[in-house]
Amino acid sequence: MITTRRDARPIPGGLARKLVLDLLSVFAVAVASLGTGLLIDRFSSRPLPLIYQTPEERFDAELSSLIAAPPFALPPATTIGLAEFRSAVESKRALILDARSAPLFMQGHVPGAFNLARDDFAHDYRQLSGVLKPATDKPIIVYCSGGDCHDSRLVANALRTLGFNDVSVFTGGWETWSAARLPIATGTAQ
Amino acid sequence: MMRRRDSARDYITTVLALAVAAVFIYAGIDKIRDPLEFADSIAAFDILPATLIDLLALGLPPFEIACGLLLIAPQTRKVGALAVAIISAVFFAAVLSALARGLTLDCGCFGSGTPSRGRMWAELGLDVLLFAGALLIYLRTRVSSLAQSTLSPRRP
Repeated sequence: MITTRRDARPIPGGLARKLVLDLLSVFAVAVASLGTGLLIDRFSSRPLPLIYQTPEERFDAELSSLIAAPPFALPPATTIGLAEFRSAVESKRALILDARSAPLFMQGHVPGAFNLARDDFAHDYRQLSGVLKPATDKPIIVYCSGGDCHDSRLVANALRTLGFNDVSVFTGGWETWSAARLPIATGTAQ
Repeated sequence: MMRRRDSARDYITTVLALAVAAVFIYAGIDKIRDPLEFADSIAAFDILPATLIDLLALGLPPFEIACGLLLIAPQTRKVGALAVAIISAVFFAAVLSALARGLTLDCGCFGSGTPSRGRMWAELGLDVLLFAGALLIYLRTRVSSLAQSTLSPRRP
């Protein structure tokens, strides 16, 4: 027997039953996705720990891998504005460090800057040892995204802990630099 | 006439499903590339305990990609649409709660960016659109599949 179109209206009870089955399917997809995510992380070069660590906790761990003693408390680093930062960049009298992550650095950075990412501090610090080691008494300026970002302050304090004497922070960061339509560089540091 | 209207609706549902699928696959791939950054974005909402943040940062991107893929195939579209409707509602509640608490953050919905309340309001609007679109797709595909099963020949 074939029902007519008039008879074919789905009954609400049928819809509710199907909704429950669909919700169970969504739950199964969610569980499978979590399993996939954990598997991808297992083979990742930088796996996430199962318990979240704040940027400050991760940074302390990174810093502890470079120095034997834990970082001691320091007064806040000096801050500078756009005009002073621009002059330092143009005259090349300071070492400019970008504390943002590598993908953001690659997308665009201040010309002449090196990437010393807060998230990968120990690795980047070792990579830049040839540039950093001779600069312990040279002016160093660190910046990050701008606005409320505090990666530049963390990196600046870490450098001071590691023995760099003249470290300041450009608080306007990348946001202010790019908004002022000043020159930018892309890709890895030159 | 009615058949032509039905096929127009099917066409619109398919286009809508593909558009929502593209958004979710893009968002999932973008997050899967940097789970650490995404975990920081989740933590900024100050809703979940530390024990759940990394699990969500690892599980959500593959879930979003799965939702997108499920929306592409007509046979699995209803499950994909229901999943998108649920997570869009969850995203909406999370962003709304952050706005109500005066937080300014980068939701991490489409990669990392500068925290901004303007962007948070835009994300809220996008969540409403995604929820409405997904609900429409779900109801359309679920009701039409129920109607088809009722129309099919019954066993004696």
